[in-house]
Amino acid sequence: MKINFGWRVWLLIIVLLLSILAIRPNFFGSGVVVKSVDKDSSIYTAGLRTNEIITSINGQGIKNQQDYARVIDSLFPNNFTGDVKLEIKTKSNDYVFLSNETPRITVENVPKTKIQTGLDLRGGARALVKADVSLTDDKLQDLVETSRNRFNVYGLSDINVRGVTDLSGNKFMLIEVAGASPQDLTNLIGQQGKFTATIGNTTVFDSDRGDIKDVCKNNAQCAGIRSCTPSQDGSGYICSFQFAVYLSPEAAKKHADITRDLGIDDTGQYLSQKIYLYVDEKEVNSLLIGASLRGQETTEISVQGSGSGKTQQEALTAAQQDMNTLQTILKTGSLPYKLEIVKLDTISPTLGGDFVYLILEAGALSIIVVAIIVFARYRKIKESLALLLTSFSEIVIILGIAALLKWNLDLPSIAGILATIGTGVDQQIVILDEAKKNKLLSIAERLKRALFIIMSSYFTALVSLLPLYWAGAGLFKGFAFTTIIGITAGVLITRPAFAEMIRRVEG
Amino acid sequence: MEQEHHKHGKEDWYDKIHLYLLIIPIVFFVFSLVFLGTFQAKNGDLIYKDVSLTGGTTISVFDSKVNIDSVKTEVLKQFPDALIREISNVRTGDQQGFILETKADVKDIQPALEKILGYKLTQSNSSVEFAGSSLSSGFYKQLRLAVIIAFLLMAAVVFIIFRTFVPSFTIVLCAFADIVMTLTVVDLLGINVSLAGVIAFLMLIGYSVDTDILLTTRVIRRDEGSINLRVWESFKTGITMTLTAIAAVGVSLIVIYNYSDTLRQIFTILLIGLGFDILNTWVTNASIIKWYAEWKGLHK
Repeated sequence: MKINFGWRVWLLIIVLLLSILAIRPNFFGSGVVVKSVDKDSSIYTAGLRTNEIITSINGQGIKNQQDYARVIDSLFPNNFTGDVKLEIKTKSNDYVFLSNETPRITVENVPKTKIQTGLDLRGGARALVKADVSLTDDKLQDLVETSRNRFNVYGLSDINVRGVTDLSGNKFMLIEVAGASPQDLTNLIGQQGKFTATIGNTTVFDSDRGDIKDVCKNNAQCAGIRSCTPSQDGSGYICSFQFAVYLSPEAAKKHADITRDLGIDDTGQYLSQKIYLYVDEKEVNSLLIGASLRGQETTEISVQGSGSGKTQQEALTAAQQDMNTLQTILKTGSLPYKLEIVKLDTISPTLGGDFVYLILEAGALSIIVVAIIVFARYRKIKESLALLLTSFSEIVIILGIAALLKWNLDLPSIAGILATIGTGVDQQIVILDEAKKNKLLSIAERLKRALFIIMSSYFTALVSLLPLYWAGAGLFKGFAFTTIIGITAGVLITRPAFAEMIRRVEG
Repeated sequence: MEQEHHKHGKEDWYDKIHLYLLIIPIVFFVFSLVFLGTFQAKNGDLIYKDVSLTGGTTISVFDSKVNIDSVKTEVLKQFPDALIREISNVRTGDQQGFILETKADVKDIQPALEKILGYKLTQSNSSVEFAGSSLSSGFYKQLRLAVIIAFLLMAAVVFIIFRTFVPSFTIVLCAFADIVMTLTVVDLLGINVSLAGVIAFLMLIGYSVDTDILLTTRVIRRDEGSINLRVWESFKTGITMTLTAIAAVGVSLIVIYNYSDTLRQIFTILLIGLGFDILNTWVTNASIIKWYAEWKGLHK
């Protein structure tokens, strides 16, 4: 048999294959993915980084999280002291090192597909936070960065913080944390971040006292990368940054009093004591103090630091990141407004698991029932099968696009997929009927007529979904997005392909 | 031939009564408008709103053993507005837990419920949703606005497609009638509409114009066959479309009925809306478009 489907069907097949590639189903994948690595740990020094897939430890195969926990427990029993030689194999590398503690990393099972599920299917906590004053876009961005930084200090991984704006221009911060308890989240948001800095054992700055008035950010005049030079040992580059911090007069005086009696270090450039920075009483950084600042009562101090890397670009990025982190740390607690949790949801993962199952069941049953009705009406097995196949490929394409865009599939998105299948079936019925009636016209003409009805339905559906994109602080973006993707893929790819199949069957 | 049969048999009948048939949707429509007007005057809004639109707390507790009736009695003593419903597995009918809804703040209801249950509510045994009242009413206003904007945009597209007043206006009118009648039934059933429910009304806009567009295109943009035949052929296609949609939504509704309030409400509202869509497309729209086509002399 000659394989000649016509380009429309080929297009569908290609898009379908690409979608499957994007979803990358990996049912036999084994190992654990490293989700986070503690930077001060021996395993970090050995070179292991996030996103590597661990396949074996000391010769024992690691297939999943349970394996990992079992092997680590046997290597590091309770009350264990001493060093263990660890030989960790990942998909890309081998790491051999000595460790006196369990590796400070978090791991997860290798995901079965590239599809990311939303919080309501995975379990976790979500808070919508509003400031008691109206924020500009810049201020909202600041708030988001400051908060993200604080959460990092707490070691909360897998956290999603973003600013959202609703239809009436209200600005919110949306925080989603997988696996965190709502209490953690409430505590974190409820209390303003507290920033303190000490020299020796004395507190110099305390955000509760309003010591830090402002931190220069995104303003080239008082903050930025000042120089990039090859490092002295020739192994790479070092970029240095500098930004200004504005203090209250009281804080300036305190700083002068404390530094007045300090000595100078060996290099002659810095004071003998460092300044330590704390967020919520956890140490986050330490800085050298320039010798010239000793005993100076100044309300504007300059914070300097550097980032290094193998290439100049790498060093530049590292310096920018470090500067950003420091700026947001120093800003913590200097937010001039109160935050209020206006919506707090926690979703149990048990609900999530059952939901997925039920929704699959609902979807499968619906498609079967629809297929039975279509078969009963047309009594043609080929057409009914083509319809089933097209509906099914539509789901795969939506999931593929979602995986490609790293879109989190949540419940509203799934409702959107169900809605899309519904309209998709409807439009295929239009094609079937237009193709069958009025045999005096050419099949091409008949299909053209079907297309007119389909495009009309498409545009009315499209415009009616657009407002949803902004309404309700974007909580229904998922629904709007998947439905729009679905119906668009429908009119561009699956409908033409279905028409082609029918043309070949009827023609 | 089947088509010939219709031409001489049922078609005469349809010619005589199609305008009288309009009485049915008109009665429904007028009743709905009067009902919704009274409802609005009495309740200050077009729908009963649940806590997701008024602000409050929803707690789902997954506990297959707890005596829900006794929990209900205890909770009602302290929170008289609370609503408690069982969650159960649709296949086995086994209790899986319950859902509690109240306007109370999560800070008040959660400790009280924990005391009644005798254990802490954690992420592994419960889901908690809380929304402040100002946010929720803000969401509601925005979603209502979104529905209105969506409707207007849809109307604009319909007018651009057909470029003639009566057919375009009829499609918009039918979509409007679908929504108004569905709202009335939702109110009569005493459903407390949630955020997701408002979205279902939005989905209804898209679903309901589909068949109207099909009918109008076939009647006024084609020239083969009598008008009655064009209406009848459209009906055969359209009713298959609506029936498959009803079947799919109905099956989904049965599967998730006792499980997810969100999806149950979306599917219930869609089901009611699709039912009215049959009436409004094949009686309201069909009668008006037939009258219009004959008046304009669009038939052979």
